[in-house]
Amino acid sequence: MAYKPQYGPGTSIVAENRRKQMNPGQKLEKVRSVTDEDIVLILGHRAPGSAYPSAHPPLTEQQEPDCPMRKLVKPTEGAKAGDRVRYIQFADSMFNAPSQPYQRTYTEMYRFRGIDPGTLSGRQIVECRERDLEKYSKELIETEMFDPALVGIRGATVHGHSLRLAEDGMMFDMLQRNVLGEDGIVKYVKNQIGEPLDRAVAVGKPMDQNWLKAHTTIFHSLVGTPYRDDTEYIEYVQRIHSLRTKYGFMPKEE
Amino acid sequence: MMNAAFPQVRIVPIRMLKPQTAERLLNMLAGIAGIRRMMIHGPGLPKLVPYGPARGRPNPHSDRRAIQVGDAEIALRIQLGEVILEVEDASVIEEIRSRCDGFFVEFPYQLQEGRFMKTAPTLVDYAKYGPDADTTLIGLADPRNGESPVVIWTER
Repeated sequence: MAYKPQYGPGTSIVAENRRKQMNPGQKLEKVRSVTDEDIVLILGHRAPGSAYPSAHPPLTEQQEPDCPMRKLVKPTEGAKAGDRVRYIQFADSMFNAPSQPYQRTYTEMYRFRGIDPGTLSGRQIVECRERDLEKYSKELIETEMFDPALVGIRGATVHGHSLRLAEDGMMFDMLQRNVLGEDGIVKYVKNQIGEPLDRAVAVGKPMDQNWLKAHTTIFHSLVGTPYRDDTEYIEYVQRIHSLRTKYGFMPKEE
Repeated sequence: MMNAAFPQVRIVPIRMLKPQTAERLLNMLAGIAGIRRMMIHGPGLPKLVPYGPARGRPNPHSDRRAIQVGDAEIALRIQLGEVILEVEDASVIEEIRSRCDGFFVEFPYQLQEGRFMKTAPTLVDYAKYGPDADTTLIGLADPRNGESPVVIWTER
């Protein structure tokens, strides 16, 4: 029988969303559209329209050693062209943000190629070749994994994911990279490391509370789905915890 | 040493306040008789980018601005997350509670009683300010910042 990954346990909507994001067979809903130039501006790694700086000559011009692994693994577009390795980093609010660091890493590992994610408690960074990064970033920003108010694209100074929201519902950002305009649209006025942009980049309207609650991948007992309500999830986590605790004693399941 | 028996309360709104709302809240509190000391607390909004490749560059932020409370101007450099108050007696707490109930209508808040502010100078305060320091001002301002507390005079 062919192996079919289950992606994760749980019966709640949060568990369902986690599985949905991780499963590469499921197409993520496109919620907003951001142009390629806007993505380049927010990332701040190169000027829009400029050529991709390279770290090494394109693979076709290089003498590749005779290696069975290289024959087996097809290089990504960025690797083929010899692009630099660059990054995008996200901070996700605990108040029903659509994704969160561990979830992002799992999702990216299932969906993208040639990436190096770094997972921390309040932020998640993913590094890859610049060309690939722009493609992946577009997907991460345009789909249901992003919310303009509760997810921040923050290369540095990420503090805010666990803080109370501001009055207007925005996650705290001491560099104020994104602002909620009078028209209700969130605009990035600085790039991800906090340098002011020449023009504001609109990333759409913040999603409403019902949408967030239905699309979040974070359990929250006060504003969302409580963890203790998902008994299957708890049972699974307790089983893993028990097994790994007993591991040193040659565990045998009873 | 100060009288440690003065009650202290903390106002914690469920949302962090914008400068306009903070200004209204502080003005409302400044109108209540019997508040001895007041401290505002929250995450900082630095003038310069503190970390990363852009470290040291200016950090324009619309919430870092001066607000007018009573007759004093306060240069706000935090996003207001909570207000800590030391009051004369328990009756003032009820006055604060009733005013806050009317103020926080769009989102809830909590009023907590406890010890939130220094009531006596510590060893570091002694080293920094000496033996004759004004104990009413101890613990009200960040000693590393060099800014002193603001005195608000209200008509009684």
